[in-house]
Amino acid sequence: MEAVAALERDAELMLRVRAGDEISFGLLLEKHRGPVVHFLYRMVQNPAVSEELAQEVFLRVYKSRATYEPTAKFTTWLFRIATHLALNWIRDGRKEKGQESLSQEVLEGTERQVADRRQSVEQEMLYEVKLREVREAIARLPEKQRAAVIMHKYQDLGYAEIAGSLKCSESAVKSLLFRAYETLRARLAHMA
Amino acid sequence: MMCPINGKESAEILLDYCAQTLDPSRVAELEKHIETCGDCRTLVAAQREVWATLDRWTPVEVSPNFDARLYARIAQYDAAPQWKQWMWRVFQPAVPVARWKPVVTLFAACAVLVMGLLVHMPDLMTPHQQVRSEKVDIEQVEKTLDDLDMLIPPAPAS
Repeated sequence: MEAVAALERDAELMLRVRAGDEISFGLLLEKHRGPVVHFLYRMVQNPAVSEELAQEVFLRVYKSRATYEPTAKFTTWLFRIATHLALNWIRDGRKEKGQESLSQEVLEGTERQVADRRQSVEQEMLYEVKLREVREAIARLPEKQRAAVIMHKYQDLGYAEIAGSLKCSESAVKSLLFRAYETLRARLAHMA
Repeated sequence: MMCPINGKESAEILLDYCAQTLDPSRVAELEKHIETCGDCRTLVAAQREVWATLDRWTPVEVSPNFDARLYARIAQYDAAPQWKQWMWRVFQPAVPVARWKPVVTLFAACAVLVMGLLVHMPDLMTPHQQVRSEKVDIEQVEKTLDDLDMLIPPAPAS
């Protein structure tokens, strides 16, 4: 019931945006900005690029407002745009170009997170190593498996929404997830 | 209950159980099975470990000027001429692939049709040429007949 209400709310806001209501666009941005940026960050593992891609996602939502039809859940449409842009960026090979310069940024972010936890230096280093292993394990997954795991684990999207975002069937999503988690269980087993 | 690892539903049930999204009515049944099934117990434990490990990866904070940058880009878009906005919408649609597929197919079909017409052009010309040559032949025949008429001596006047 709550999900249906959320669907109606987002779709209703988007329909208002279509009618020219800028406040509704602001409300949608406020609600989905974080999830979209976080999803893209985990997909491309680069904070600056993830924000750039998130901007493009919302810009495309705005540009498409005139032709928007609430045929699917708003989040499915939103994450489909985000997934498309992320996969394009990964396939374009820009990942390698930006990785070196931005890895420092990632580390700084990690350091900030660690510092906030007020742990000992040894614990901080251990935490950082483990975090890097998690990131690498996810980064090494095939693109669609990576997107499916991130949407399932971190964005709390259901199978139908993930299927809509990846343009595949629900059974294909279940299969993608099972294989992805199987790989992650093997890669991260030593961290248990 | 049939063991989920051996059944078709294994992925869904065990993943949902570990993600705590499994229907409550099925949780009790599955937990009862897990108590007696070593394979499922091992898988669930490993999956929960992975789940907990993935939790370590906390997201980065969004830049405070994110919205300002976005609205600046939107203002730039709104200020652009209509034809430019139309071009952007056509070449950078929200979800591009599906929309372009029929256009690409149509273009490919047209290209094949045009190629086919070009290849068969000599055949198209042939009937025209044939008509022309037939015309020439008739003219020649008529001329020859006239010549023959001239050769025939006129009948003597009675």
